[in-house]
Amino acid sequence: MISQIGSIAISLAGGLIFSSFIFLGFFKKFKNQTYLQVAERAILATSYCIFLAFFCLLNELLISNFNLQYVAQYTSYETPVFYKVTALWAGQAGSLLFWSFITALFAVTYIFTTLKKLKTLKFHSYIILSFIFSFFILLSNFIANPFEPVSSDIIVQNGNGLNPLLQNFFMAIHPPILYVGFTGSAIIFIMALAASISRDISFEWVQSIRRWSLFVWTFLSAGIILGGYWAYNELGWGGYWAWDPVENSSLMPWLTLTAFIHSSMIQEKRGMLKKWNFLLATSTYILVILGTFITRSGVISSVHSFTAENLGPMFFAFLAILILYTVFWFFKRKSYLDTPDKIDSFTSREGGFLYNNLILILMCFTIMWGTLFPILSEAWDGNKIYVGASYFNQLNIPIGLVLLFLMGIGPLLSWNYTSQSVLLNRFKLPLSISFLSGIGYIIFSSLFQLYVFVAIMGVSFTLSSILGEFYKSFKKQKNSSNFLHSIVKMFLSNRHKNGGYIVHIGIVLLFIGFIGRAFEVEKEFSLSPGEQIYFSNYVFKLNSIKSEARDNHYAFLSEIDVVDSSTNQLLTNLKPEKRIYFYWNSDPEKRQPHSELDIYSTIQKDIYSIFSGYDAQKNIGYFKIMINPLVNWVWIGGVLMVIGSLFAFWPSRRNN
Amino acid sequence: MNKVTTSTLIIFVLIAGWVFYLTNIKKDDSLTVRYYSISELAIESNDIQKIKVGGYIKPNSIDISEDDQLEVSFFVYQNNDSVKVTYYGIRPDLFKDDAEVVVSGSYSNNLISATELQTKCASRYEGDLKNIEKI
Repeated sequence: MISQIGSIAISLAGGLIFSSFIFLGFFKKFKNQTYLQVAERAILATSYCIFLAFFCLLNELLISNFNLQYVAQYTSYETPVFYKVTALWAGQAGSLLFWSFITALFAVTYIFTTLKKLKTLKFHSYIILSFIFSFFILLSNFIANPFEPVSSDIIVQNGNGLNPLLQNFFMAIHPPILYVGFTGSAIIFIMALAASISRDISFEWVQSIRRWSLFVWTFLSAGIILGGYWAYNELGWGGYWAWDPVENSSLMPWLTLTAFIHSSMIQEKRGMLKKWNFLLATSTYILVILGTFITRSGVISSVHSFTAENLGPMFFAFLAILILYTVFWFFKRKSYLDTPDKIDSFTSREGGFLYNNLILILMCFTIMWGTLFPILSEAWDGNKIYVGASYFNQLNIPIGLVLLFLMGIGPLLSWNYTSQSVLLNRFKLPLSISFLSGIGYIIFSSLFQLYVFVAIMGVSFTLSSILGEFYKSFKKQKNSSNFLHSIVKMFLSNRHKNGGYIVHIGIVLLFIGFIGRAFEVEKEFSLSPGEQIYFSNYVFKLNSIKSEARDNHYAFLSEIDVVDSSTNQLLTNLKPEKRIYFYWNSDPEKRQPHSELDIYSTIQKDIYSIFSGYDAQKNIGYFKIMINPLVNWVWIGGVLMVIGSLFAFWPSRRNN
Repeated sequence: MNKVTTSTLIIFVLIAGWVFYLTNIKKDDSLTVRYYSISELAIESNDIQKIKVGGYIKPNSIDISEDDQLEVSFFVYQNNDSVKVTYYGIRPDLFKDDAEVVVSGSYSNNLISATELQTKCASRYEGDLKNIEKI
C-alpha cells in the first residue's frame, strides 16, 4: 500500500514538473504573472511529492517490506535500524531518489528565501530548476525506480542485508553530506545563470550567492573529509586518498567552488570579474554532473564505480545540455558581464585572489586531465592509458605548495595596492619564522627531502601570517576588560574574515598531515602466536589468535603487543580481527571475509594493523603493519575547516 | 610594459608550458600505464614493462602456496580469453572466484607478475540478489 503511494508520488512529480514547463511557456507568451505563480506552485508541489515518495521508501525500509527489490537488496531483518535508514542511499535507485529529495529541499528553501528577495530571477530560475528536477524524476520513474517490486514468482523470505563494509557510521553519513554539497551547487548554477540571463546582477545577488556557496562548500568539504576518514578506518589499505576517479570527481567541484568563493569577494567589493565568476559558478555544477557521469557510467574503470546501467548515456545527455546552455548564455551575455575596471596591481588583495584562482583552476584542470586521460588517449590513438597516483602526486604537490604560501601571503596584502615598504614590513616576521623552521628542518632531519622542506617552510609561514593577523585584530579589542572576552569579541568582530582564517588554519593542518605521507612505512609478515618481529623501532609480538562466533559473523581475534624498542616499554595492544560474514552459508562463494583493522593513534603517528589471513593448520597469522605519521592532523584540519566555514556562514545578529 | 602586463605575460607562458607538459605525459613512463584488455594480451607475445589489466578471476584457478599464504597465482578472464597472474602480498577481502579485479605489474612469457591487486570496492556495489533467502 505505502509503496504504491510512493510509486504514484514519483509519477505525479513527473507530471507536475512537466506542467510547470507549460505554465512557464504561457507566462513567456502572455506575460501574465498568474502563470508564473502557478509554475511556482507546480515546482513546490513536485517537491512535496518527492518528500512523500522519500518517506514512503523510508517506511518500507523500516518495516522490511521485501516485496520491493530495493528493500530486499539492501536490508534484512537483522539490519540495525540505523542502517535501514542509511540504506536509502546505499544503492543506485535509492540514491537517485535521495538526490531528488535534497534538490526538493533546496528548491523549497530557494523559492521561499532567496527568490522572495530577488524576484526578477524567478522566471529563469524556474526554467532551469524544472529542467534539473525533471531529469532526476525521469530517472526515478523510468530507469531506476526504487519502488520496483521483486518478480512475482518468488517470495523473499529475508533480504540481502547491507554489505558489512558499509555498516560503518562514517560510511553511512558521508554520502548524504556529499550529496547536499553536490545538489546545492545546482542552486549556485541556477543563480548565476538566472541573474545573467535577466541582466540583473545586484549587490544583493552577490551576497546571496556567496552565502549559498559557503553553505555548499561546507558540505562538500565535510563529505570529502568524512569519505577519507571512512576509507582510512575501514577499508584497510592504510590511506585516505588514492586519486580514484570517484574521489577526483568530488574534489574538482570543490576546487572551482573554492575559487568562486574567493573571486566573488572581488565582485562583492569592487564589482569586477563578472565573467570569470559566472564561469566558476556554473562549472562547479557541471563538474558535479561530469563526476556523476564518470562514476555511474563505467566509462573509466574505477575501484568503485557503479556497474554500467542505462545511466551513462542519460547523464551524458544531461551534461551536454547543461554545458551547451551555459556556453550559449555566456556568449549572449558577454557584453553585459564585461567589466571595464582592471586590476591595478598584482601586489594587492585582488591580485592575491587572482593567483589563488589561477592555482585552483590549474589544479582542477590537472586532476580532470588525469581522470579523463584514459578516455582522451583512447579517442586519440586507440590506446587506453591510465595515469597512476604518481601523476597526481607529482603534479599536484608543487601546485599545492604554491597554494600553501598564497594562503599566508593573501592576508598581508591590502585592497587596491600594497606599497613596497608596507609589504616588507608585514612579511618580515612570517618570513623569518619560515626561514628559521626551514633551517631547523635541515639541522634536525637525517634525510633531506625537498618537498618536505618547502612544505615545512610554507606551513610555518602561513600559520604565522594568519596568527599575526589574529593578533593584530586582538590588539584592537584591547580596551576590553578581560582576556577571554576580548578574544571572543575579536572573533565576532568580522565573522567572514575570521571564519575564512580558521578555514585556512584548517588547511594548513591538512598540509601537516600530508607531510606525514612522505614518511610512511609498511611491512607485511607472518607470525605464529608467541613469535615477534622488529620493525621501524617497534617490536610486534603476537600473543594469541582466538576465534569466536558472533551475532552476524565469525571472527578470528589476534592480539599483538607493541613495544617501543628504544624505551622497552609496552606501548599498546593491537587487536585486529579477521571476520567472515555469512559464514553459515554452505556455499563458500557467498561467505564474505572482512579485515577489521586496529589503529593505535596519537598526534604524532598512527600504528595501523591489519590481520589479513589465518592459516589454521599451521597456526600462522598474516599481518600488515603501517606506521603513518601525522595522520590525525588531517582530521583535525578537516574539523577546523568545517567549523571555520560554519562560523563565516552563520547569520550574525546584525543581519537579522 | 607595465608590471601588470608583464605579470600577465609570465602567467600566460607558465600556463602554456603546463598545458604542453600535460599533453605530453603519455611519453612519461613513470606517470602512465597502458591498459590492455585480456583479448589483446592473448595475442601479445612481446614482454611489456608496465601493464594494467582488468577482468574477472577464473573460478577454481586461485592457487595459494602451501608454504606461504601470501603467494598466490590465478587466472583473470574476460569472455573466452584468460591470462595467468602471480602476486605476492596481502590480498583484498573481496578476492575470490569471479570477483572483478584490476591488476598492475609487468608482463613476460604470457604471465603477469602483479605488483598491485585491487578488487572492486564495495562502497557502491550493486549486489545481485544472490544472498536472498527465497522459497
